[in-house]
Amino acid sequence: MRRILTSTLGAAVLAAACIPVQIQAPDRPIEINLNVNIRQEVIVRLERDAEELLQQNQDLF
Amino acid sequence: MTHRTFSLAAAAAMLSMALTSPAGAQRDSVIADARAAGLVGEQADGYLGLVPGAQISADLRGRVEQNNMRRRAAYTERAAAANASVAEIAAAVACEVFQDAQKLRVGERYRDDAGQWRQHTATQAVVVPGVCGRS
Repeated sequence: MRRILTSTLGAAVLAAACIPVQIQAPDRPIEINLNVNIRQEVIVRLERDAEELLQQNQDLF
Repeated sequence: MTHRTFSLAAAAAMLSMALTSPAGAQRDSVIADARAAGLVGEQADGYLGLVPGAQISADLRGRVEQNNMRRRAAYTERAAAANASVAEIAAAVACEVFQDAQKLRVGERYRDDAGQWRQHTATQAVVVPGVCGRS
């Protein structure tokens, strides 16, 4: 029984090894979005500053 | 004497107002009209933008550039004090602007954080930048 199992396993491994794996190079360059650099926790920390800035520059907004 | 003290105090108050707040100035009515007409609008990056396809006069373009330069100056000054980057302060201000119906009014166009131009309508709420906290 054990022998059958081992040989089946071996066959499976062999079969897997024979399947050609194709890796395609991406046709477009990888883009990295730099906008994610601004973090929510920073924005939350700056809320008071933003409010004051708006208060002091009402003519600009 | 009291009269003189009073007028001195008044003059000092007026001077300090003039110095500390260039904001004593009025909102630019040309820009306000252009916002209402959908030619320019607020952007998620904290600056005013020109709506693509709109007919923008040289005068309006100049005023928008001037406005953005003054915004940038204000952001830069505040960034140094708050130990943050100019872009972070600008984004934080945009969060306030996008959530204030007095600053981004119904009918006005705006550019969301994905770069897409949208319109604030009575039925369509403003799409607030994802980086803004709940407030």
